[in-house]
Amino acid sequence: MKPILWLLALSLAACIVGLAVGAVALAPRVVLGALLSPDAPAAAIVREIRLPRVLLAFLVGGSLGVSGAALQALIRNPLADPYLLGISGGAGLAAVLAMALGLSGAWGVPLVAFLGGLAAVGLVYRLSSVAGRRLDPRVLVLAGVVVSAFTGSLMTAVLTLSNAEQLRNAFLWLLGGFSAASWRTVAVFAVYAVVPVTLLFGAARALDLLSLGEEPAQSLGLDAPRARRLVYLATSLLTAASVAVCGVVGFVGLIAPHALRGVLGPGHRRLLPAVFLASGGFLVLADALARTVARPTELPVGVVTALVGVPLFAILLKRSLR
Amino acid sequence: MMLRAEAVSVRYPDAPAEALSEVDLSLAAGELVAVAGPNGCGKTTLVRALLGLVPLQRGRVTLDRSPITGWRRAELAQAVALVPQREETPFSWRVDEMVGFGRYARRGALSPMTREDHTAVERALVRCDVSDLSRRRVETLSGGEWQRVRIARALAQEPRLLVLDEPTASLDLGHEMELFELVRRLVDEGLAALVVTHHLNLAARYAGRMLLLDAGRTAAAGSPAEVMQAELISRVFRWPVEILPLEEGAPQIVPLRPGSPSRDYP
Amino acid sequence: MPRALRRFVLLLCVACRPAAPDRPGELVDDTGAHTSLAAPPQRIVSLIPATTELLFALGAGDRLVGRTRWCDYPAEAARIPDLGNGIDPNVEAVVAAKPDLVLLYKSGANRGAAERLRALGVPTLELATDRIADIDRLTRLLGRALGLREAAESLAARTDRELTAASQPAERSTARPSVFILAWDRPAMTLGAGSFLSEILERAGARNAFADLPTSSAQVSIEAVASRDPDYILVSSAEDPAVAGRPEWRVVRAVRERRFLRVHGSEFNRPSPRVGLAVRQMVAALAAAGR
Repeated sequence: MKPILWLLALSLAACIVGLAVGAVALAPRVVLGALLSPDAPAAAIVREIRLPRVLLAFLVGGSLGVSGAALQALIRNPLADPYLLGISGGAGLAAVLAMALGLSGAWGVPLVAFLGGLAAVGLVYRLSSVAGRRLDPRVLVLAGVVVSAFTGSLMTAVLTLSNAEQLRNAFLWLLGGFSAASWRTVAVFAVYAVVPVTLLFGAARALDLLSLGEEPAQSLGLDAPRARRLVYLATSLLTAASVAVCGVVGFVGLIAPHALRGVLGPGHRRLLPAVFLASGGFLVLADALARTVARPTELPVGVVTALVGVPLFAILLKRSLR
Repeated sequence: MMLRAEAVSVRYPDAPAEALSEVDLSLAAGELVAVAGPNGCGKTTLVRALLGLVPLQRGRVTLDRSPITGWRRAELAQAVALVPQREETPFSWRVDEMVGFGRYARRGALSPMTREDHTAVERALVRCDVSDLSRRRVETLSGGEWQRVRIARALAQEPRLLVLDEPTASLDLGHEMELFELVRRLVDEGLAALVVTHHLNLAARYAGRMLLLDAGRTAAAGSPAEVMQAELISRVFRWPVEILPLEEGAPQIVPLRPGSPSRDYP
Repeated sequence: MPRALRRFVLLLCVACRPAAPDRPGELVDDTGAHTSLAAPPQRIVSLIPATTELLFALGAGDRLVGRTRWCDYPAEAARIPDLGNGIDPNVEAVVAAKPDLVLLYKSGANRGAAERLRALGVPTLELATDRIADIDRLTRLLGRALGLREAAESLAARTDRELTAASQPAERSTARPSVFILAWDRPAMTLGAGSFLSEILERAGARNAFADLPTSSAQVSIEAVASRDPDYILVSSAEDPAVAGRPEWRVVRAVRERRFLRVHGSEFNRPSPRVGLAVRQMVAALAAAGR
């Protein structure tokens, strides 16, 4: 069976697992019943709490995975991840500031975080332009590190001047997770992510060429500067929205691209859809684990992706170096 | 088809001097032109200028009488193919995938590869004698094999002009000769080729015309016999040399021990 | 209709208005949100330690079906299922308990959970439980909500009496020692005038050395503490605090002279009907330390 079909089946299985587990133990029969009928027992839990959560985790995971893969081609480094662009720092700082200033409401902080993430990307872009080498991978990485350090220290300063309640709320936000998932969030994210994800899928061949280097890509007929800008924009939009919705969740943009490149080859036409499915499924499973390991408390999903991701990554590295 | 560079001058930002000053060049189908010169004389800059990869301070480059800057990248890639000096890819491509990239200019971002594309790829693989490597991964290739694969990729573009930047760097003697033989064959079949090389002797034997650059300026241009003059070469490369005849019209340089006087063989 | 008849009908209507002393009706929580309860709730999830305690004090402990892990008083609360944290709670666990009323701590971090619970049709009240003034207000609000107005009235009255009695010694005396609240020692953090513990101090006749803090809690430098020269340092443990043994703290006179005020007990952690007890203990501690 074609690999993509395997992946589809596996990610579907992951979603089912995500629906089946939670703070409350529900038999599979009950879960199925709840899915089929809105009046079944536990329907509220399954349909209004777990289902949007699983869908959101899948969409965010897929978006982060595809962004990671695209950035790895753009930066020509298989260790690049979506937060390299400085987004997490900008979003975190904006969120912390918003909470310190008393911004509340379910939409206030995520929106501000989203804008903060994009502002950080803009700053990184500007910094790399000032160096005269717009979107040059090495300069981008350095600028990203600089902006992250800058926003990180500002965030620390804001937190130091906060009172205990603001500190706690900031900490909770920064740890991240999908506990706030609602159907509205899923709808907004889904509609929003369609364009950037489609753009990245369409740029598959361009990504192949970009990974060869600027000169080879240009001489093969690619308008490299334009392609770079589009990829950079699309990945920034996806990552900023992801951070706004669920905080900083690491390793999702690294694991699936790495693992699948070894199996499917580096050609992005086959790789990107596969990465979307695999990363989505991975994040759904990580979230399921985060919800059940210490119930009824929830671990931040970023902790689970790191704890699972690091050993997985070590295995992948070892295999690729052999 | 005619590539023409007139009074091309390039200055990199924040550089004290121009990298290229008032350089002329012309190239037509069936011609093999070699560009040589000491390190840092502007050979690679010239290549970039010819492909519109770097903005010109003065002068212009035209392909078939229309300025190179007016060509869209994809259109240009169907006419001109470049094999850059250095290339590294972080991913593990297969040889046939790598050569297949040469078809991007004609296929674009979305259309699938056609039978015509696959034929062009196979033909390119055969011409460069790398067919039996087609399923290998590029990181497993030797220097010479990688070089030939990249030339195959350029040929897959089905260009009218081939530009090679230092194609024999890191190749051994046999592979160097094979590469020049290949390019000569292609030129005899109707391609135009521009080869940037530091290998003056091979350039003299295979090229129809040579261009010698020194610090961004033309030091000499013309047939190999006109360019390979002892006094000129030793001045440009700052080393005493002796010129020996090998074949008709293809004098060869022999570097001398320091302190010896340069001389042409009468 | 003749006027007499009209008046009679009106009288009848007034007389026949259903007596509704125990119908909760429309409730307004501390964010201004309106919630209406058709009947007194029987399955309450209390995600605030203060309200858990209040509910038991009102005699409604048997109506609780969920609490937070921090709800530690009274002892009977341990029998109520623990649903996790009160801040950013696990909505799934709360919904699974099938509550007909949820009490959430009013905080930015709980806005999302409150909205999701209401969207699922679960009546939710976001309540501020930070100050002494909240005790009376919440007692009456919960009394109304649960249909226990009389119990609430008497509880509120009793609490008030105990508080007034406990505060009497302070009002009679003129000495007002200054106290530094050592909330955390590394780095040094204290509570400002807007906090519950600070209010207890004031009622007990002392004064918060950092009453002028713009925020309810903040990090302070040892220098700042030393320059304000508090008479006592308030700590919540039975033994001497760690700062007693640290050389850099010796610039503070109260540390040098070991003038520590020791109080502990969950009545100091949250506004509750035991506030009178808390003030009494504080008065006693001040008296003991003064000797």
